[in-house]
Amino acid sequence: MSNIHSSGLKSRSSFLARLLTLPIRHVQQAVGSLGNLWRTPFTTVMTIFVLGISLALPATLHLFVKNAQQVSEQWDSASQITLFLKLSTSEKSAQNLVQRVSLYNEVADVRYISAKQALKEFKVLSGFGQSLEYLDENPLPATLLVTPTQRASQAEAANALLAKLSKEREVEQGKLDLEWLTRLEAMARLIEDIVLGVALLLCLSVVLIVGNTIRLAILNEKDAIAIMKLVGATDSFIQRPFLYSGIWYGIFGGILSCIAVTLLAWYLGYAISDLTELYQSNFQLEGLSIREALMLISFAIVLALTGSYISVRQHIKAIEPNAD
Amino acid sequence: MINFNKVNKTYPGGFLALKQVSFNLESGEMAFLTGHSGAGKSTLLKLISLMEKPSSGSIQVNHTELADIKYKQIPYVRRGIGMIFQSHNLLKDRTVFDNVALPLIIEGVSHSEIKKRVATALDKVHLTSKSKCYPHMLSGGEQQRVGIARAIVNKPPILLADEPTGNLDPKLSLDIISLFEEFNAAGVTVLIATHDLGLIARMKYRTLTLKEGTMINDGIVDGLQAQGTRHEQHS
Repeated sequence: MSNIHSSGLKSRSSFLARLLTLPIRHVQQAVGSLGNLWRTPFTTVMTIFVLGISLALPATLHLFVKNAQQVSEQWDSASQITLFLKLSTSEKSAQNLVQRVSLYNEVADVRYISAKQALKEFKVLSGFGQSLEYLDENPLPATLLVTPTQRASQAEAANALLAKLSKEREVEQGKLDLEWLTRLEAMARLIEDIVLGVALLLCLSVVLIVGNTIRLAILNEKDAIAIMKLVGATDSFIQRPFLYSGIWYGIFGGILSCIAVTLLAWYLGYAISDLTELYQSNFQLEGLSIREALMLISFAIVLALTGSYISVRQHIKAIEPNAD
Repeated sequence: MINFNKVNKTYPGGFLALKQVSFNLESGEMAFLTGHSGAGKSTLLKLISLMEKPSSGSIQVNHTELADIKYKQIPYVRRGIGMIFQSHNLLKDRTVFDNVALPLIIEGVSHSEIKKRVATALDKVHLTSKSKCYPHMLSGGEQQRVGIARAIVNKPPILLADEPTGNLDPKLSLDIISLFEEFNAAGVTVLIATHDLGLIARMKYRTLTLKEGTMINDGIVDGLQAQGTRHEQHS
């Protein structure tokens, strides 16, 4: 104790030295807070799971909307007219009709599915394969799939084309699949709104959950915080480990939710590919892209940090050292 | 170094803990603060360490007027005051080394410097061999000395001690007090609150006596001749 600092206010280390030790201190406190989380594994794991699941839900809904958009886009560009031919129509006159229809100005493409072909596909895809063997004759009509040109695929023009095609004498019935498309779009919009609402609520719950967890951690460390204040720790020094805890919660919760969403998409992918085969669609369920996963994790970090910051501001100032 | 000028402290509810207390402790002085339980000793120490604010009057510590200190500046004032408590106030989940290093970590001292200074501080209190122990592995006297090492590790100009010998036997108490004398000899201002009157009588230092919040005595308890003899006794 030979040399003594002249004054408490002046005895701070030089500015440069502080600047150099600050990043090291941050890394130490970040790692230290990770160690603190490790020391209470049960609480930590529970919190991370709650966060992961809370975030997985809106992320899954986001995937749903994204894929629904992809689906409707696919069908939108190919609003098809299906023409069912009379059962009595011969193969030859059907080919004739194909010729005539493909000459229409409004038609971009015609695909002919003969009655035989239709039965074959139906056997494979419907699951009634065996029982269809017992039928004496083919109950299915031959079908034309007419794709209108870009201009003729708008609702009104397509309807006019349908009326024109239905007048062909080989045609029993024509169908334009537009109504369900607009319904799907409306539904997708509704679901998007629901997703947004639910996502907001769940984000709020993430903030509150982390806030509460950090609050409990602060109250747990109450004595230690009081001691640190006594020996001259600033509030920002004391709150730093808690903020880092919040960041860790965000990172782990975000990663967990990415894993959950990916697993769910992978699992649903099988069910959906079976389903889309029935609709002869080349639809593939899209999972989270790397970019979306990173965004999800950083979003989780921002939410968790917000929660811990609110908690830290509320509670650390309130703890006052007591000499008793 | 510590200057009280007509300080009153009233707690919420109307309890008058300190009444018109005035005294001045010069830099490098060592004094005892005594009085019965509830006489206001703790309140006085809390006012110095900014745990409480006076209801009226002014306090200067370390050439700083405490009334001017804002919330954000409190930590920096406290860094100039080493505080020692009867209840040790150690962090239970950290080693002796980490406990003593705490004030330096807070100040952002470099790692090598921390090692050096903690080693010096632990050497002062003869606990070098215990640096890797946790507080619960130590005896009461050892814990108290860890608290002292922590209080002096950043070389504050002022040391405050609240009943530092409260739970210790007379021999250990004397050891602790002689530690304080050592620091005082190095120029540190020391204020020790204690109700151990026997201890004070032996030491013959300036003694501030509180009774029901009023300063009833300020001076050498056992005659004036003690003043010249204090360094010869314990060096």
